Order: sequence, then C-alpha cells, then structure tokens
Amino acid sequence: MANRTGTAQRPNGQTQGKICQFKLVLLGESAVGKSSLVLRFVKGQFHEYQESTIGAAFLTQTICLDDTTVKFEIWDTAGQERYHSLAPMYYRGAQAAIVVYDITNQDTFGRAKTWVKELQRQASPTIVIALAGNKQDLANKRMVEYEEAQTYADENGLLFMETSAKTAMNVNDIFLAIAKKLPKNEQNTGQAGNAQGRRLTEGDTGPRAAGNCCK
Amino acid sequence: MTVDMPVSLLKNPELKFGAITFFAKQHKGDTCGSNGLPLTPNSIIIVGNAQLLKTIKSPFLCDFLDIIRGKHERTIVVSQYCGTPLAKIIDKHVLTHLQIKKIAYQALKGLSVLHKLDIVHRNLSNENILRQENGDIKLFNYGLYHMTNRGALVSFPVLEVLYTAPEVYLSGFDSGHVDKKVDIWSLGQRIRKILSLLQVNTSIFEKIAREHNCYEVYLNLPADLKELIELCLNIYPSKRLSCEELLDKLYFNEFRDIQEQKKMWEPFEVFSIQELYYWWQLAGGDVFQELKKQGLIRSSPPILSLPSLVLIEGTLLGQDRNPATLYDPRIVEMPLETLYQRFIHIPITAFYPLIHSKSDIISSSDPPPYDATGLPLVIKEKDPEYQFHRVILFRRLLHGYPFTKDLIRQEAEKDIPPLLRGDVWSALLNVPQGYERDYMRLDKYSHTTTDRQIEVDIPRCHQYNELLSSTQGHKKLKRILKAWVYKNSQYVYWQGLDSLTAPFLYLNFNDEAKAFACLSNFIPRYLHKFFLKDNTVVIEEYLAKFSQLISFHDPQLANHLHDINFDPKLFAIPWILTLFSHVFPLYKILHLWDKLLLCDASFPLHIGLSILTQLRDRLLTSGFNECILLFSDLPEVDIEKCVIASMQTYQSTPRSITSREHENEQFYKKNDLDIRGVTLEELKKESCPRISAADIINTVRKNPDKILLIDIRNTTLFHRSCVKGSVNIPFSSVSFNETVLDNLGTHSSLIKSKGDKVVAIIGDCETDLERFPNFLLQCNVSRVCVLHGDFNRFTSVIPTILTSGTTN
Repeated sequence: MANRTGTAQRPNGQTQGKICQFKLVLLGESAVGKSSLVLRFVKGQFHEYQESTIGAAFLTQTICLDDTTVKFEIWDTAGQERYHSLAPMYYRGAQAAIVVYDITNQDTFGRAKTWVKELQRQASPTIVIALAGNKQDLANKRMVEYEEAQTYADENGLLFMETSAKTAMNVNDIFLAIAKKLPKNEQNTGQAGNAQGRRLTEGDTGPRAAGNCCK
Repeated sequence: MTVDMPVSLLKNPELKFGAITFFAKQHKGDTCGSNGLPLTPNSIIIVGNAQLLKTIKSPFLCDFLDIIRGKHERTIVVSQYCGTPLAKIIDKHVLTHLQIKKIAYQALKGLSVLHKLDIVHRNLSNENILRQENGDIKLFNYGLYHMTNRGALVSFPVLEVLYTAPEVYLSGFDSGHVDKKVDIWSLGQRIRKILSLLQVNTSIFEKIAREHNCYEVYLNLPADLKELIELCLNIYPSKRLSCEELLDKLYFNEFRDIQEQKKMWEPFEVFSIQELYYWWQLAGGDVFQELKKQGLIRSSPPILSLPSLVLIEGTLLGQDRNPATLYDPRIVEMPLETLYQRFIHIPITAFYPLIHSKSDIISSSDPPPYDATGLPLVIKEKDPEYQFHRVILFRRLLHGYPFTKDLIRQEAEKDIPPLLRGDVWSALLNVPQGYERDYMRLDKYSHTTTDRQIEVDIPRCHQYNELLSSTQGHKKLKRILKAWVYKNSQYVYWQGLDSLTAPFLYLNFNDEAKAFACLSNFIPRYLHKFFLKDNTVVIEEYLAKFSQLISFHDPQLANHLHDINFDPKLFAIPWILTLFSHVFPLYKILHLWDKLLLCDASFPLHIGLSILTQLRDRLLTSGFNECILLFSDLPEVDIEKCVIASMQTYQSTPRSITSREHENEQFYKKNDLDIRGVTLEELKKESCPRISAADIINTVRKNPDKILLIDIRNTTLFHRSCVKGSVNIPFSSVSFNETVLDNLGTHSSLIKSKGDKVVAIIGDCETDLERFPNFLLQCNVSRVCVLHGDFNRFTSVIPTILTSGTTN
C-alpha cells in the first residue's frame, strides 16, 4: 500500500541513488482539507477536528521513486482569503503545488481555479500543479462532478485526483504522481544540510513583496 | 470548643449534595453529520445543555452543581440534595392542610422559576420534592428533561408514570411535548397523592377520589385546596392555569408576604454550595468513586459487551442490551466527613477576611495566613485549604467590584483561583456594569459574508473541550463572533478570532454577554488594529519588534536565527494574532493569560521570547528545516516556566524597547521623549531596538548602575557635553572588520564585564547608528539598544542629566 511511507523514509542507508528536494505548497479555500492531506501523507494520521491553520505550517516527507529519494518540503498554508497576502511568500520558489477543493462545495472549486490562475501567472513557470478534489468519502454529497474537474485539469495541464484524507484514498498517490512529474536533474539534488534553509527562502523576495501583493 | 465553630459554617444541613447517573443514547456506529464531521456524542450535548441549570437560583430548587461524563456516554448529574423526600414523610405523617398548601405554593414558586427559563420539570414526584428541617421544600432533579433535549438524548422516557399529564400520553413520549403545563398537572396529582384520597362526577379530581374510595376525604376538603387541585387537573392544557396564575390565587396570600418583601440587595453569602462542592473535590471527593462504591456504576468485563457479529459497514448485531442503560432513579448522597476533617482547624475568622484598614492589633490577633508561597501554581490550585482562603477572599473582593479593582489586581498578581477566574478576568478587563444590555442590542443573527468562515472554523476550535464542542457551545461561539464583527465594523473576522474567543466563552459559558464584553475589552488592549482588513503593517511591525527583542535578550540565538534565515514571520503569526490561544490547549492559555491580563500589550512578545528560550538548545544546533519543523509541531512547553521567564524579561526590559507605532495610545501614553514616527522600513533595517530618551533619563536618575551608556559621537562633542556616566567610543575610531570586542580598545573590558546592564548607544546625525549596534550584536553583547533621536534630546531636560565630559 502506498501509505507505508515509513520504509521510504529510511532507505536502508543506501545512498547510491539521487536525493532530490522539492518545495511544495498547498493552496485552497479554508476547511477543504489541506492540513488533513498533509497530515495523512506525513504521519498517516487523520484528525476529525483538525485545527484551522493560521499563517502556515511546514512539514517534510521523503518518498522513494525507483533509485531516487524525493524529499518534499511542504508548506501548508492558511485557507482564509484574508491570509492571501502571505501566500506568495510560500509559493514563490515552489517546484510543486497542490490546489485543493472540497467536492461537496462548488465554491471551493471556484476558489481552486483562482489559485491555479494565480500560480500560472505568478509562480515559477515550471511549477508542477496538482488539483485535489478532497473529501471523496463524502461522495454522496458531491457538488462538483468528477468529469468537470477532470476536464478543467486537462485544459490547464494539471495533475488531478479525487482524494480522501479520511480514508487515505489517493493521498500518497497524488504526492507520488507529483514526484514522478518533477524533473530530477542536478539542480535539485544533493542540497543537504545548512544550504537547504537558504535555498528555501531565496525565492522569497522579502516581506515587502509579500505585503504588496495584498493591495 | 472553638474549633467546632468554623466547621459548623460548613455543616449546614442544606449544604449537602448527591448524584444521579444515567446513559445518554449512543449513536449507531460511525455516523457522520452533513458536514462530514462525526456527530457530537449525546452526552456532550447534554453537558452543554446542562450548564444553564447552574445559573438557576431559587430557595425552592436544589442548586445544580455539576455534570460529569464517563465512558460509553455515562452521564452523572451532581446537585444539591438535602432534606427528606415527601414520599418518605407522607408514609409516616399526615400533613395538615396548611402544610400542604405551603408545599403547593413553594413548588409553584420553584416551577415558575423554571418555566420562565422554558425549562419543564416533567419529573415531578414526591421523591423529587425534598422537605427541609424548617418545613420549606426544594424541588430536585428538575433538569433532566431540559438537558436531554426533551428526553430525545436518552433511551428512557423522562416522566413519572402516575403523575404525568394526559396530553403527554396522547402525543407520545418522543414527540417532545413542550407545554409547561404538564408540570401543573403533575403538581395537582402530587397534592392529591399527599392527601391520599380520591373520586367524582364532574371533575377529574372527584373521579379519581371515587376510584380510590376516598370520596369522604374529598368531600371534607377545604374548598380552596379542592379548587387548586381541580385547576391543576384540568385535562385541557389550554385551560389549565399557569404557575403565575395559580400563584395569584388568594389562598396563597398568607405565604406570600413573609417571603416576598423586595430586598434592597442580595444578602452576602460567605460561600456557596458550589464552592463547598469545589473544595470537597479538591479534598479528594470523587463522585464517580462514590457511585461505584454504592453500586450505581458497575463495570462488567469489556469482553461481555462484544457483539456477536459486526457487518463490514459497522452495524453491530447480537449485542446484549445493558440493563444499566435504563434509568435508575437512585440518588447517592456524597459523604462530607473528609472535608469537615480537613477544614476542622480553620478558624472562624478565616471566613471573614479583613480587607481594608487592618489595624496592627487586629492583624496580630489574626492567625498567620495560610502559606503557599513558593509552591508551584498547579499545586496551589489543587490545595483545598489554599483554595478555600483564596475563594473566600476573592469572592469578597469581587462583591465590591468596581471599587475593589486595585485590590483584585493586587491579589491576582499572586494567583487567581480557578473557580472564580471568569469573574476575576472580567474585573481585570474592566468589564463595565450593564454589559448585558450592550450585548443584547447587537445583531447576532442576520446573514453576513463571514458566516461560512465562522461556520467552518467553530467545529475545529478547541474541540477536545466538552463545553466548546457541545451544540450549545457552537451556538454561543457563533453568536459572540457575529456580534463582535457586527459591532466592530472597522475590523473583519480573521481566522484565529475563534480561538481568541474560546477562553472567554469557556470561563463564562453561562454568560455569553460577559464573554463578549471580555473579548471586546481584550482586543483593544492587546491586539489593537490586528483585525483590520489589511493588517500587514501592524503585523510586520510587531514581528520586527519581536526579532529585536530576541536580539536584545539573546544575541547568540538571534544571530543563529539570522544566519539560517529563520524569520519569525514563518512561525509567530498564529502566536501573536491569537495571543497563543491557537497554539496551546485551554488549561495552558488560562495560566498564560492570568499573567497577560496584568501586563500591557508588550507582554506577548516576552511570552514568545520565553518559548524560544525554552527551545533554545535545540534551535541553536538546528538548521532551517529542523527549526521550522519544531514550530510546526511545537513540543510540550512548560507553561509555568514560560510565565516566569516572560515576567522576568518583561520587568527587566525598558518599556520603550518594545514600543510600537501601532500600539493603542489609550493604554500606552507617549510624550515627546518617547519613541514616535519610526517607519516600518527603518524598523526592519534595525537589528537592535531603540530606547526612548525618557527611559534613559529615568534609568540614569534612579538606577545608574543598570545602564551602560556608550556615546559614539566624536571626542570634541563628547567633551563639551555628555550624559553623566557615559563612555565615549567615537564611531570613527572603531574598525568593524572583525567582530571582536577588543577592537573597541580600552572600553572593551567595560562591555565584557557589564553583566545584565542595558547598553544604550547615543549618537547624533553624524554617526552611523546601525553599524555600531550591529557590531555589538554580532559580538553577542546582550541588551544593546540605540537612543531614539539623537543626543540633543537631552539638552532641554530639567533637571539635567548632562555633564561636561572631562571627567571621563
């Protein structure tokens, strides 16, 4: 099963393969399940009453892909529209993004489209974007059709999956799909130790830039 | 026998309590609500509903004390329980007609209190009417129907079969028949029962009397009593009279006058049964254990509750119905002996602590106060005797609010008794009289664009807490948030406001208006402008001050965080925006805010600093990723240590170090010698904080040995005039190539041996006020700050702190 990432985390000390690090950001309307997806992916847990995220949270997870070890540095952002001004700080310099919506709420799908547009405009042009229709376990209350989202994803060149953080459905798969799609060239390898911190924030052109975005 | 005196205050026959227990209905399997969240357990809904009962005060009702949840939806209700049930009395004695009338009157008084709150007793029986030694009665177990959503949350019917009104049977038990008049029927039946008679022709009463071969007794009844019962037993609820109507009857006049003279004020209670119950618990009282001891709670091996078959979607089959899920009307009285023993040595004077004007003679005759100083806070909060003294004292002080405001603050500095925390907090927050009216006026219901956000946030806000996760809790929180947004149109709802409100609601669960008033006074004091639609500058200024405060107290840590690019913006936004209420569980927030409320808006910065200090070793040895991971999953923080450390830095830091442009000037008055007009751009460039001329003047005058003034102007200017005690290190003389203190020449030893002195750098427009302090910071010199403005600030100060610099 895909959710046994524990083994992937420690690849038996074999380091002959490449190690790649990617910065990934989660975006989407609040309460669609961004934090839950990350928590499921990173810790294999699910909390019914997952607290709201203020500002952002940072987590990491490593997965193995053939002979490559992929380390995700995940920024889980706040969903409320008001925190929008902080978002560029997190998605700037990100190699991947998961835009999440809630399949039981049409508005959140609309919001997801806005995020995709913003990423296409403002983020790195090579960014890999995945669209996640979360809360698949509530499919009987579905308001966003699978086909509708799939069509939209195809038109915009996005990866697309319906996920459920609660049942773990497609959670690891969507991260895995992103990992496959990411370029594993020299640029992303071998940045261990202290360098990673610097690299991570280099993309951030400073708080002033972030502040301007909200105007 | 003086020792008996105080205990007799506790040994009041009415100050006794008992408990009943039942099971709430269990949800079947893993069911989810329409929002995908699991359904709230019925026992939690009951806990939320039951809180209202705590507010009910009537001499004819037993005080409701507590509701406790056990495993598997077990629910325990603790309430005052004193006197003898009527059922027992009428077995042995015949009551006079006058006594019966009085009982009827008092029961109606009790019921009318309930009915005004839309609470239906539904359970009125002679078991639930307790006669006190003085002949008065108290109604017991009146809350069951209300707390169980009219019986819907339990699997047994809430009624007394014999006494229940006909319409209840007609409409079925589950239809949630609301009419309060069912209680009136029960009352009528009950009085009839007391008379043990029965029959008739036209009236129900007569009929019942005949059926029971008691027609004789019926005929001999005084007319008024007969009328009363007949009024009560009208089979049409619409024609049956209400409590108020019945109470108006002339034949109750004789009881009315004695008890209803309008009192000028409520008599002062030295302590209440709620407090007794609290001390009893602290002294080891455990309701759960008592119920176990008396056999009301029996645990069976878990294996016996296994079902025979579980279907894949979670349906359970072949599970024996536990007979314990049926209603067991037994009441267990709680033994108070341990508490009496524990408090036996407390002198009577302790019940009446003197607050004002203690003369020496009186105070020397007082026994020494119970000493708990130096004990950890958690121990003090669990010490029954200490809490006894604190509660008695605070209750008295709160009684005198607002005139005792200063005394309350003074005592709160020691600690705040958890039982009275809600009231103490609102006193510390200056909640004004008449706060209820203000709240009542606000629109809490109209639909707004913020509703969706509030609705998705509430079910995630401190849901481990029973009160906040209950249905009532959700409704109340929503109303408070909507009212706040409505009232503060200049502000908007930011996620986090829910967490910020949670502690106030938790403490004032039965006084929504007070929770709202606390929040309304709290935000201007501590989070001024934070909830503006665009709060970027406010937050950025705050974060910049936070970085500077770290540099000020812990340069080594500040340098490390700077080196790894670890900006407070990445982790401290939830800290400051919610004042840690989104970061810590409630019990920690309470202790943290106990101190916050005694300090000003700069205190949260010190709390933040103390958290970093606790994690210091790990931070210093970690790179960026490890650091940020640490904060995304914050390890256990010792809150008492955190509070002590933040108090220390708060008290030892000149106030202007944390001065902000966006501070609320209502609470922090600034004058010309304070810091003003610093732009965000300037602030962000400065690694070391500024200090105001006012703070330097103060320190030089009062504690000159607490400050090291370094004047970096050129020697000529310095010799012409300088601040007393300052040293001159001309800016131009320093080589900044290496970060070695020795480069400063002869004065370097002064800095090295400065201890915890503040190092204030004084310059003028000719000097670079960034490189020098940065240099000191890089050399890990602590408490470095820069005079806001320049040297000339001091020239006009009278009396002067200047001297000619020749002495140096």
